[in-house]
Amino acid sequence: MTAVIFDGLVLGLQFGLLGVGLTVVYGMGGILNLAYGSIAVVAAVVMSVSMRAGLQAGPAVVLGILTAAGISLTLNSTVLKPVYRRRGEDRVLLSLLLTIGVAFIIDGLLVWRFPIEALGLNVGWEPVSIIGVRMRAGSLLASAITLLVGGSLIFFFRATTTGKAVRSVIQDEVGARLCGVNPAAVRTLIFALSGVLGGIFVATQAMTSPVPISAGFEFTITALLVTVVGGLGSIRGAFLAGLILGIVNAMSSFYIGSYITTIILLAAAALTIVLRPSGLFGERA
Amino acid sequence: MLEVSGLSTGYDSHVVVLGVSVDVREGEAVAIIGSNGAGKTTFLRAICGLLPVSAGDVRYEGRSIANLAVHKVARAGISFVPAERHLFPEMSVAENLALGAFPNRPDPDQQSLVFDLFPRLAERRRQAAGTMSGGEQQMLAVGRALMSRPRLLILDEPTTGLAPRLASQAYESLAALRTLGMTILVAEQQVPLVLGLADRGYVLENGAIQLEGPSAELRDNPTVQRAYLGVV
Repeated sequence: MTAVIFDGLVLGLQFGLLGVGLTVVYGMGGILNLAYGSIAVVAAVVMSVSMRAGLQAGPAVVLGILTAAGISLTLNSTVLKPVYRRRGEDRVLLSLLLTIGVAFIIDGLLVWRFPIEALGLNVGWEPVSIIGVRMRAGSLLASAITLLVGGSLIFFFRATTTGKAVRSVIQDEVGARLCGVNPAAVRTLIFALSGVLGGIFVATQAMTSPVPISAGFEFTITALLVTVVGGLGSIRGAFLAGLILGIVNAMSSFYIGSYITTIILLAAAALTIVLRPSGLFGERA
Repeated sequence: MLEVSGLSTGYDSHVVVLGVSVDVREGEAVAIIGSNGAGKTTFLRAICGLLPVSAGDVRYEGRSIANLAVHKVARAGISFVPAERHLFPEMSVAENLALGAFPNRPDPDQQSLVFDLFPRLAERRRQAAGTMSGGEQQMLAVGRALMSRPRLLILDEPTTGLAPRLASQAYESLAALRTLGMTILVAEQQVPLVLGLADRGYVLENGAIQLEGPSAELRDNPTVQRAYLGVV
Protein backbone atom coordinates (compact mmCIF):
# COMPACT_ATOMS: atom_id res chain seq x y z
CA MET A 1 0.00 0.00 0.00
CA THR A 2 2.71 2.49 1.00
CA ALA A 3 4.71 1.49 -2.06
CA VAL A 4 1.71 2.10 -4.32
CA ILE A 5 1.13 5.54 -2.81
CA PHE A 6 4.82 6.35 -3.25
CA ASP A 7 4.60 5.35 -6.91
CA GLY A 8 1.52 7.53 -7.23
CA LEU A 9 3.31 10.51 -5.68
CA VAL A 10 6.29 10.12 -8.04
CA LEU A 11 3.95 9.95 -11.01
CA GLY A 12 1.72 12.71 -9.64
CA LEU A 13 4.55 15.20 -9.33
CA GLN A 14 5.42 14.56 -12.96
CA PHE A 15 1.77 14.92 -14.01
CA GLY A 16 1.69 18.22 -12.14
CA LEU A 17 4.71 19.51 -14.05
CA LEU A 18 3.19 18.36 -17.34
CA GLY A 19 -0.08 20.09 -16.44
CA VAL A 20 1.60 23.40 -15.55
CA GLY A 21 3.06 23.57 -19.06
CA LEU A 22 -0.43 23.41 -20.55
CA THR A 23 -2.33 25.44 -17.98
CA VAL A 24 -0.10 28.55 -18.08
CA VAL A 25 -0.46 28.75 -21.86
CA TYR A 26 -4.23 28.49 -21.52
CA GLY A 27 -4.47 30.96 -18.66
CA MET A 28 -2.43 33.52 -20.50
CA GLY A 29 -3.83 33.47 -23.97
CA GLY A 30 -6.92 31.28 -23.99
CA ILE A 31 -4.96 28.79 -26.10
CA LEU A 32 -5.39 25.06 -25.49
CA ASN A 33 -2.28 23.59 -27.10
CA LEU A 34 -3.21 20.05 -28.17
CA ALA A 35 0.22 19.59 -29.78
CA TYR A 36 1.80 19.85 -26.32
CA GLY A 37 2.31 16.10 -25.76
CA SER A 38 3.61 15.57 -29.29
CA ILE A 39 6.17 18.36 -28.83
CA ALA A 40 7.31 16.67 -25.62
CA VAL A 41 7.75 13.41 -27.54
CA VAL A 42 9.91 15.20 -30.13
CA ALA A 43 12.15 16.18 -27.20
CA ALA A 44 12.32 12.49 -26.24
CA VAL A 45 13.27 11.50 -29.78
CA VAL A 46 16.00 14.16 -29.93
CA MET A 47 17.39 12.91 -26.61
CA SER A 48 17.33 9.28 -27.71
CA VAL A 49 18.82 9.85 -31.18
CA SER A 50 21.59 12.15 -29.94
CA MET A 51 22.52 9.69 -27.21
CA ARG A 52 22.80 6.91 -29.79
CA ALA A 53 24.97 9.25 -31.85
CA GLY A 54 27.38 9.36 -28.91
CA LEU A 55 26.24 12.34 -26.85
CA GLN A 56 26.26 12.01 -23.04
CA ALA A 57 22.87 11.76 -21.33
CA GLY A 58 23.11 15.25 -19.75
CA PRO A 59 23.79 17.24 -22.92
CA ALA A 60 21.33 15.05 -24.85
CA VAL A 61 18.54 15.87 -22.40
CA VAL A 62 19.35 19.60 -22.58
CA LEU A 63 19.34 19.43 -26.39
CA GLY A 64 15.93 17.72 -26.32
CA ILE A 65 14.51 20.31 -23.93
CA LEU A 66 15.79 23.18 -26.07
CA THR A 67 14.28 21.59 -29.18
CA ALA A 68 10.87 21.39 -27.49
CA ALA A 69 11.16 25.05 -26.43
CA GLY A 70 12.08 25.98 -30.00
CA ILE A 71 9.11 24.13 -31.52
CA SER A 72 6.80 25.67 -28.95
CA LEU A 73 8.07 29.18 -29.77
CA THR A 74 7.72 28.55 -33.50
CA LEU A 75 4.15 27.38 -32.98
CA ASN A 76 3.40 30.61 -31.09
CA SER A 77 4.90 32.88 -33.74
CA THR A 78 3.53 31.13 -36.85
CA VAL A 79 0.50 28.84 -36.66
CA LEU A 80 -1.07 30.66 -33.72
CA LYS A 81 -0.76 34.18 -35.19
CA PRO A 82 -4.32 34.24 -36.58
CA VAL A 83 -5.64 32.89 -33.29
CA TYR A 84 -4.57 36.00 -31.34
CA ARG A 85 -6.76 38.18 -33.57
CA ARG A 86 -9.83 36.44 -32.17
CA ARG A 87 -11.41 36.71 -28.75
CA GLY A 88 -13.24 34.47 -26.32
CA GLU A 89 -14.65 31.13 -27.48
CA ASP A 90 -13.55 31.72 -31.07
CA ARG A 91 -9.98 31.86 -29.89
CA VAL A 92 -10.18 28.65 -27.83
CA LEU A 93 -11.88 26.78 -30.67
CA LEU A 94 -9.48 27.91 -33.38
CA SER A 95 -6.50 27.09 -31.16
CA LEU A 96 -7.91 23.58 -30.62
CA LEU A 97 -8.31 22.97 -34.35
CA LEU A 98 -4.92 24.34 -35.36
CA THR A 99 -2.90 22.67 -32.60
CA ILE A 100 -4.58 19.29 -33.12
CA GLY A 101 -3.53 19.63 -36.77
CA VAL A 102 0.04 20.32 -35.68
CA ALA A 103 -0.14 17.28 -33.37
CA PHE A 104 -1.18 15.04 -36.30
CA ILE A 105 1.67 16.36 -38.44
CA ILE A 106 4.28 15.84 -35.70
CA ASP A 107 2.97 12.35 -34.86
CA GLY A 108 2.91 11.43 -38.57
CA LEU A 109 6.47 12.62 -39.11
CA LEU A 110 7.64 10.67 -36.05
CA VAL A 111 5.98 7.44 -37.17
CA TRP A 112 7.47 7.91 -40.64
CA ARG A 113 11.06 8.81 -39.65
CA PHE A 114 11.49 7.18 -36.22
CA PRO A 115 9.01 4.28 -36.07
CA ILE A 116 10.78 2.27 -33.36
CA GLU A 117 12.45 5.04 -31.38
CA ALA A 118 11.87 5.06 -27.61
CA LEU A 119 13.63 7.05 -24.94
CA GLY A 120 14.95 5.20 -21.91
CA LEU A 121 17.21 6.92 -19.42
CA ASN A 122 18.88 4.31 -17.28
CA VAL A 123 19.81 5.59 -13.84
CA GLY A 124 22.30 2.88 -12.90
CA TRP A 125 22.30 3.34 -9.15
CA GLU A 126 21.17 0.81 -6.55
CA PRO A 127 17.60 0.97 -5.21
CA VAL A 128 17.22 2.95 -1.99
CA SER A 129 15.04 2.11 1.02
CA ILE A 130 12.74 4.84 2.35
CA ILE A 131 10.60 4.05 5.44
CA GLY A 132 10.77 0.38 4.50
CA VAL A 133 9.84 0.86 0.84
CA ARG A 134 12.44 0.01 -1.79
CA MET A 135 12.48 2.81 -4.34
CA ARG A 136 14.21 2.57 -7.68
CA ALA A 137 16.93 5.18 -8.09
CA GLY A 138 15.27 6.34 -11.32
CA SER A 139 12.03 7.15 -9.47
CA LEU A 140 13.90 9.06 -6.80
CA LEU A 141 15.96 11.08 -9.25
CA ALA A 142 12.83 11.83 -11.31
CA SER A 143 11.03 13.01 -8.15
CA ALA A 144 13.97 15.11 -7.02
CA ILE A 145 14.19 16.83 -10.41
CA THR A 146 10.43 17.39 -10.52
CA LEU A 147 10.36 18.84 -6.99
CA LEU A 148 13.28 21.12 -7.79
CA VAL A 149 11.67 22.35 -11.01
CA GLY A 150 8.27 22.71 -9.29
CA GLY A 151 9.83 24.68 -6.44
CA SER A 152 11.66 26.94 -8.88
CA LEU A 153 8.41 27.53 -10.77
CA ILE A 154 6.57 28.52 -7.60
CA PHE A 155 9.44 30.85 -6.66
CA PHE A 156 9.44 32.31 -10.18
CA PHE A 157 5.70 33.00 -10.22
CA ARG A 158 5.44 34.28 -6.62
CA ALA A 159 8.65 36.18 -6.03
CA THR A 160 10.10 37.53 -9.26
CA THR A 161 8.95 40.63 -11.13
CA THR A 162 8.72 38.68 -14.40
CA GLY A 163 6.73 35.90 -12.73
CA LYS A 164 4.28 38.43 -11.31
CA ALA A 165 3.96 39.98 -14.76
CA VAL A 166 2.95 36.56 -16.14
CA ARG A 167 0.30 36.17 -13.43
CA SER A 168 -0.94 39.70 -14.07
CA VAL A 169 -1.60 38.84 -17.73
CA ILE A 170 -3.47 35.68 -16.64
CA GLN A 171 -5.64 37.62 -14.17
CA ASP A 172 -6.39 40.80 -16.14
CA GLU A 173 -4.71 41.39 -19.48
CA VAL A 174 -5.91 45.01 -19.84
CA GLY A 175 -4.73 45.81 -16.31
CA ALA A 176 -1.35 44.24 -17.10
CA ARG A 177 -0.93 46.32 -20.26
CA LEU A 178 -1.83 49.49 -18.34
CA CYS A 179 0.96 48.62 -15.90
CA GLY A 180 3.45 48.49 -18.77
CA VAL A 181 3.50 44.70 -19.29
CA ASN A 182 3.84 43.62 -22.92
CA PRO A 183 1.56 40.58 -23.30
CA ALA A 184 3.30 39.40 -26.49
CA ALA A 185 6.64 39.19 -24.66
CA VAL A 186 5.03 37.31 -21.78
CA ARG A 187 3.46 34.92 -24.28
CA THR A 188 6.83 34.21 -25.89
CA LEU A 189 8.32 33.47 -22.48
CA ILE A 190 5.45 31.17 -21.52
CA PHE A 191 5.55 29.17 -24.76
CA ALA A 192 9.28 28.62 -24.25
CA LEU A 193 8.64 27.60 -20.64
CA SER A 194 5.87 25.24 -21.74
CA GLY A 195 8.25 23.48 -24.17
CA VAL A 196 10.92 23.23 -21.47
CA LEU A 197 8.44 21.65 -19.02
CA GLY A 198 7.31 19.13 -21.66
CA GLY A 199 10.97 18.25 -22.27
CA ILE A 200 11.74 17.84 -18.56
CA PHE A 201 8.61 15.70 -18.19
CA VAL A 202 9.65 13.16 -20.85
CA ALA A 203 13.16 12.99 -19.39
CA THR A 204 11.82 12.17 -15.91
CA GLN A 205 9.31 9.69 -17.37
CA ALA A 206 12.12 7.93 -19.22
CA MET A 207 13.95 7.40 -15.92
CA THR A 208 11.24 4.96 -14.80
CA SER A 209 9.92 3.49 -18.05
CA PRO A 210 10.68 3.99 -21.76
CA VAL A 211 8.82 6.75 -23.62
CA PRO A 212 7.65 5.50 -27.06
CA ILE A 213 6.96 7.87 -29.97
CA SER A 214 3.25 7.05 -29.74
CA ALA A 215 2.93 8.63 -26.28
CA GLY A 216 2.21 12.19 -27.46
CA PHE A 217 -1.56 11.97 -27.49
CA GLU A 218 -1.67 10.30 -24.08
CA PHE A 219 0.56 13.04 -22.62
CA THR A 220 -1.72 15.73 -24.03
CA ILE A 221 -4.80 14.04 -22.55
CA THR A 222 -3.11 13.66 -19.17
CA ALA A 223 -2.06 17.32 -19.21
CA LEU A 224 -5.60 18.31 -20.17
CA LEU A 225 -7.08 16.26 -17.29
CA VAL A 226 -4.63 17.81 -14.82
CA THR A 227 -5.41 21.29 -16.15
CA VAL A 228 -9.18 20.85 -16.02
CA VAL A 229 -9.20 19.26 -12.56
CA GLY A 230 -6.78 21.84 -11.18
CA GLY A 231 -8.64 24.76 -12.69
CA LEU A 232 -7.73 26.34 -16.03
CA GLY A 233 -4.86 28.74 -15.59
CA SER A 234 -4.04 27.74 -12.01
CA ILE A 235 -0.48 26.69 -11.26
CA ARG A 236 -0.96 25.38 -7.72
CA GLY A 237 -4.16 23.68 -8.93
CA ALA A 238 -2.16 21.80 -11.57
CA PHE A 239 0.28 20.45 -8.97
CA LEU A 240 -2.48 19.35 -6.59
CA ALA A 241 -4.48 17.78 -9.43
CA GLY A 242 -1.33 16.06 -10.69
CA LEU A 243 -0.75 14.47 -7.29
CA ILE A 244 -4.37 13.34 -6.96
CA LEU A 245 -4.47 11.85 -10.46
CA GLY A 246 -1.04 10.26 -9.96
CA ILE A 247 -2.21 8.45 -6.84
CA VAL A 248 -5.52 7.44 -8.45
CA ASN A 249 -3.52 6.14 -11.41
CA ALA A 250 -1.11 4.09 -9.28
CA MET A 251 -3.88 2.66 -7.08
CA SER A 252 -6.12 1.62 -9.94
CA SER A 253 -3.22 0.13 -11.92
CA PHE A 254 -2.20 -1.92 -8.89
CA TYR A 255 -5.58 -3.01 -7.51
CA ILE A 256 -7.77 -3.12 -10.61
CA GLY A 257 -5.61 -3.34 -13.69
CA SER A 258 -3.91 -0.91 -15.98
CA TYR A 259 -6.37 -1.48 -18.84
CA ILE A 260 -9.11 0.29 -16.90
CA THR A 261 -6.93 3.04 -15.39
CA THR A 262 -7.68 5.58 -18.08
CA ILE A 263 -11.41 5.14 -17.53
CA ILE A 264 -10.98 5.63 -13.79
CA LEU A 265 -8.84 8.73 -14.37
CA LEU A 266 -11.48 10.22 -16.64
CA ALA A 267 -14.17 9.35 -14.09
CA ALA A 268 -12.17 11.06 -11.32
CA ALA A 269 -11.78 14.14 -13.54
CA ALA A 270 -15.50 14.12 -14.42
CA LEU A 271 -16.42 13.86 -10.74
CA THR A 272 -14.25 16.87 -9.88
CA ILE A 273 -15.85 18.90 -12.64
CA VAL A 274 -19.34 18.00 -11.42
CA LEU A 275 -18.48 19.00 -7.85
CA ARG A 276 -16.40 22.08 -8.72
CA PRO A 277 -17.05 23.28 -12.30
CA SER A 278 -14.12 25.69 -12.33
CA GLY A 279 -11.67 23.09 -11.00
CA LEU A 280 -9.91 22.96 -7.64
CA PHE A 281 -8.38 26.43 -8.05
CA GLY A 282 -10.14 28.02 -11.02
CA GLU A 283 -8.59 31.48 -11.47
CA ARG A 284 -11.75 32.45 -13.30
CA ALA A 285 -15.07 30.91 -12.45
CA MET B 1 2.27 68.28 -21.95
CA LEU B 2 -0.56 66.45 -23.72
CA GLU B 3 -2.00 67.79 -26.96
CA VAL B 4 -4.83 65.92 -28.59
CA SER B 5 -5.79 67.39 -31.95
CA GLY B 6 -8.75 66.40 -34.10
CA LEU B 7 -8.88 62.89 -32.65
CA SER B 8 -11.40 60.44 -34.09
CA THR B 9 -11.88 56.94 -32.76
CA GLY B 10 -14.46 54.24 -32.22
CA TYR B 11 -15.16 50.54 -32.29
CA ASP B 12 -14.57 48.72 -35.60
CA SER B 13 -16.23 50.88 -38.26
CA HIS B 14 -18.46 52.68 -35.77
CA VAL B 15 -17.06 56.17 -35.07
CA VAL B 16 -17.85 57.34 -31.53
CA VAL B 17 -15.54 60.33 -31.13
CA LEU B 18 -15.08 62.73 -34.05
CA GLY B 19 -12.40 65.41 -34.28
CA VAL B 20 -11.87 66.13 -30.59
CA SER B 21 -9.05 68.48 -29.51
CA VAL B 22 -7.99 68.73 -25.87
CA ASP B 23 -4.79 69.95 -24.31
CA VAL B 24 -3.37 69.56 -20.84
CA ARG B 25 -0.48 71.68 -19.57
CA GLU B 26 1.99 70.57 -16.95
CA GLY B 27 0.65 70.82 -13.39
CA GLU B 28 -2.95 71.33 -14.54
CA ALA B 29 -6.06 69.38 -13.65
CA VAL B 30 -8.41 69.15 -16.62
CA ALA B 31 -11.96 67.73 -16.61
CA ILE B 32 -13.89 66.10 -19.42
CA ILE B 33 -17.56 66.26 -18.52
CA GLY B 34 -20.51 64.80 -20.36
CA SER B 35 -23.42 62.44 -19.94
CA ASN B 36 -23.42 58.66 -20.21
CA GLY B 37 -22.52 57.58 -23.74
CA ALA B 38 -21.07 60.96 -24.72
CA GLY B 39 -17.78 59.33 -25.70
CA LYS B 40 -15.63 60.21 -22.66
CA THR B 41 -14.41 56.65 -22.04
CA THR B 42 -13.82 56.03 -25.75
CA PHE B 43 -11.79 59.24 -25.98
CA LEU B 44 -9.56 58.35 -23.00
CA ARG B 45 -9.10 54.77 -24.19
CA ALA B 46 -7.84 56.04 -27.55
CA ILE B 47 -5.25 58.28 -25.84
CA CYS B 48 -3.92 55.30 -23.88
CA GLY B 49 -3.71 53.02 -26.90
CA LEU B 50 -6.63 50.77 -25.94
CA LEU B 51 -8.52 51.90 -29.05
CA PRO B 52 -7.12 52.83 -32.48
CA VAL B 53 -6.83 56.50 -33.42
CA SER B 54 -8.41 56.71 -36.90
CA ALA B 55 -7.73 60.43 -37.48
CA GLY B 56 -5.93 63.25 -35.71
CA ASP B 57 -2.93 63.07 -33.40
CA VAL B 58 -2.01 62.61 -29.74
CA ARG B 59 1.24 64.32 -28.75
CA TYR B 60 2.80 63.79 -25.35
CA GLU B 61 5.82 65.86 -24.36
CA GLY B 62 6.38 66.75 -27.99
CA ARG B 63 6.19 63.31 -29.59
CA SER B 64 3.26 61.49 -31.16
CA ILE B 65 1.88 58.60 -29.12
CA ALA B 66 -1.13 57.98 -31.38
CA ASN B 67 -1.61 54.23 -31.90
CA LEU B 68 1.33 53.37 -29.67
CA ALA B 69 0.94 50.02 -27.84
CA VAL B 70 -0.72 50.35 -24.43
CA HIS B 71 2.33 49.19 -22.48
CA LYS B 72 4.54 51.72 -24.29
CA VAL B 73 2.19 54.58 -23.45
CA ALA B 74 2.28 53.41 -19.82
CA ARG B 75 6.08 53.28 -19.79
CA ALA B 76 6.26 56.75 -21.37
CA GLY B 77 4.87 58.16 -18.11
CA ILE B 78 1.08 58.16 -18.58
CA SER B 79 -0.93 56.17 -16.03
CA PHE B 80 -4.55 55.37 -16.85
CA VAL B 81 -7.09 54.40 -14.20
CA PRO B 82 -10.07 52.86 -16.04
CA ALA B 83 -13.56 52.98 -14.56
CA GLU B 84 -13.56 49.16 -14.31
CA ARG B 85 -10.25 49.39 -12.35
CA HIS B 86 -8.77 46.24 -13.97
CA LEU B 87 -7.02 45.16 -10.76
CA PHE B 88 -5.45 41.72 -10.37
CA PRO B 89 -8.15 40.12 -8.20
CA GLU B 90 -6.17 37.18 -6.78
CA MET B 91 -3.09 39.21 -5.94
CA SER B 92 -2.56 41.08 -2.69
CA VAL B 93 -2.63 44.85 -2.39
CA ALA B 94 1.18 44.82 -2.15
CA GLU B 95 1.52 42.72 -5.31
CA ASN B 96 -0.89 44.95 -7.24
CA LEU B 97 1.16 47.96 -6.20
CA ALA B 98 4.42 46.22 -7.13
CA LEU B 99 3.09 45.55 -10.64
CA GLY B 100 2.27 49.23 -10.96
CA ALA B 101 6.02 49.85 -10.91
CA PHE B 102 6.70 47.24 -13.66
CA PRO B 103 9.28 46.71 -15.17
CA ASN B 104 11.11 48.21 -12.19
CA ARG B 105 11.09 46.97 -8.62
CA PRO B 106 8.64 48.98 -6.48
CA ASP B 107 10.22 52.14 -5.09
CA PRO B 108 9.76 52.29 -1.29
CA ASP B 109 9.43 56.10 -1.31
CA GLN B 110 6.66 55.97 -3.87
CA GLN B 111 4.97 53.19 -1.93
CA SER B 112 4.97 55.25 1.27
CA LEU B 113 3.53 58.18 -0.69
CA VAL B 114 0.67 55.88 -1.79
CA PHE B 115 0.19 54.60 1.78
CA ASP B 116 0.15 58.20 3.11
CA LEU B 117 -2.50 59.08 0.56
CA PHE B 118 -4.52 55.90 1.26
CA PRO B 119 -3.75 54.61 4.80
CA ARG B 120 -6.42 51.95 4.24
CA LEU B 121 -4.18 50.23 1.68
CA ALA B 122 -1.34 49.98 4.21
CA GLU B 123 -3.69 48.21 6.66
CA ARG B 124 -4.82 45.79 3.95
CA ARG B 125 -1.54 45.16 2.22
CA ARG B 126 -1.84 41.34 2.43
CA GLN B 127 -5.49 41.18 1.37
CA ALA B 128 -6.46 39.93 -2.09
CA ALA B 129 -7.63 42.83 -4.27
CA GLY B 130 -10.75 40.96 -5.41
CA THR B 131 -12.09 40.70 -1.85
CA MET B 132 -11.96 44.44 -1.11
CA SER B 133 -14.84 46.92 -1.14
CA GLY B 134 -15.50 49.22 -4.09
CA GLY B 135 -13.98 52.22 -2.33
CA GLU B 136 -10.84 50.30 -1.41
CA GLN B 137 -10.51 48.95 -4.94
CA GLN B 138 -10.72 52.49 -6.28
CA MET B 139 -7.92 53.54 -3.90
CA LEU B 140 -5.83 50.58 -5.01
CA ALA B 141 -6.39 51.40 -8.69
CA VAL B 142 -5.15 54.95 -8.16
CA GLY B 143 -2.31 53.73 -5.92
CA ARG B 144 -1.19 51.19 -8.52
CA ALA B 145 -1.25 53.88 -11.22
CA LEU B 146 1.00 56.08 -9.07
CA MET B 147 3.66 53.42 -8.48
CA SER B 148 5.34 54.04 -11.85
CA ARG B 149 5.89 57.73 -10.86
CA PRO B 150 3.76 58.91 -13.81
CA ARG B 151 3.97 62.48 -15.11
CA LEU B 152 0.34 62.42 -16.23
CA LEU B 153 -2.51 60.67 -14.45
CA ILE B 154 -5.64 59.96 -16.51
CA LEU B 155 -8.77 58.78 -14.72
CA ASP B 156 -12.05 57.57 -16.18
CA GLU B 157 -15.05 58.10 -13.86
CA PRO B 158 -13.17 57.51 -10.61
CA THR B 159 -16.48 57.70 -8.70
CA THR B 160 -18.08 54.75 -10.53
CA GLY B 161 -19.97 52.59 -8.05
CA LEU B 162 -19.02 54.71 -5.04
CA ALA B 163 -21.42 56.06 -2.42
CA PRO B 164 -21.53 59.89 -2.32
CA ARG B 165 -19.29 60.13 0.77
CA LEU B 166 -16.64 57.86 -0.82
CA ALA B 167 -16.90 59.78 -4.09
CA SER B 168 -16.01 63.03 -2.31
CA GLN B 169 -13.17 61.24 -0.52
CA ALA B 170 -11.83 60.06 -3.88
CA TYR B 171 -11.76 63.68 -5.06
CA GLU B 172 -10.09 64.80 -1.83
CA SER B 173 -7.26 62.35 -2.58
CA LEU B 174 -6.97 63.69 -6.11
CA ALA B 175 -6.82 67.24 -4.72
CA ALA B 176 -4.00 66.10 -2.41
CA LEU B 177 -2.17 64.69 -5.43
CA ARG B 178 -2.56 68.02 -7.24
CA THR B 179 -0.81 69.84 -4.41
CA LEU B 180 2.09 67.42 -4.97
CA GLY B 181 2.30 68.70 -8.55
CA MET B 182 0.60 65.85 -10.40
CA THR B 183 -0.93 66.65 -13.80
CA ILE B 184 -4.43 65.15 -14.02
CA LEU B 185 -6.94 64.53 -16.81
CA VAL B 186 -10.24 63.17 -15.55
CA ALA B 187 -13.54 62.23 -17.20
CA GLU B 188 -16.52 62.53 -14.89
CA GLN B 189 -20.31 62.65 -14.81
CA GLN B 190 -20.44 64.07 -11.30
CA VAL B 191 -19.87 67.59 -12.49
CA PRO B 192 -19.88 69.53 -9.18
CA LEU B 193 -17.16 67.25 -7.78
CA VAL B 194 -14.88 67.38 -10.79
CA LEU B 195 -15.23 71.14 -11.31
CA GLY B 196 -14.13 71.54 -7.69
CA LEU B 197 -10.85 69.86 -8.61
CA ALA B 198 -10.15 70.99 -12.16
CA ASP B 199 -8.69 74.27 -13.44
CA ARG B 200 -10.40 73.88 -16.79
CA GLY B 201 -12.93 71.64 -18.39
CA TYR B 202 -14.33 70.42 -21.69
CA VAL B 203 -17.94 69.43 -22.26
CA LEU B 204 -18.16 66.38 -24.52
CA GLU B 205 -21.53 65.44 -26.05
CA ASN B 206 -22.23 63.09 -28.97
CA GLY B 207 -18.52 62.57 -29.50
CA ALA B 208 -17.64 66.23 -29.98
CA ILE B 209 -16.56 69.13 -27.75
CA GLN B 210 -19.53 71.44 -27.12
CA LEU B 211 -17.96 73.88 -24.69
CA GLU B 212 -14.66 74.55 -23.02
CA GLY B 213 -13.30 76.97 -20.46
CA PRO B 214 -12.12 77.55 -16.90
CA SER B 215 -14.08 75.61 -14.26
CA ALA B 216 -15.64 78.77 -12.79
CA GLU B 217 -16.97 79.79 -16.21
CA LEU B 218 -18.39 76.33 -16.89
CA ARG B 219 -20.07 76.35 -13.47
CA ASP B 220 -21.83 79.61 -14.34
CA ASN B 221 -22.73 78.56 -17.86
CA PRO B 222 -26.55 78.19 -18.18
CA THR B 223 -26.28 75.12 -20.47
CA VAL B 224 -23.97 73.33 -18.04
CA GLN B 225 -26.20 74.30 -15.12
CA ARG B 226 -29.27 72.92 -16.84
CA ALA B 227 -27.70 69.73 -18.16
CA TYR B 228 -25.33 68.69 -15.36
CA LEU B 229 -25.87 70.74 -12.24
CA GLY B 230 -29.60 70.25 -11.90
CA VAL B 231 -30.30 74.01 -11.93
CA VAL B 232 -33.64 74.81 -13.58
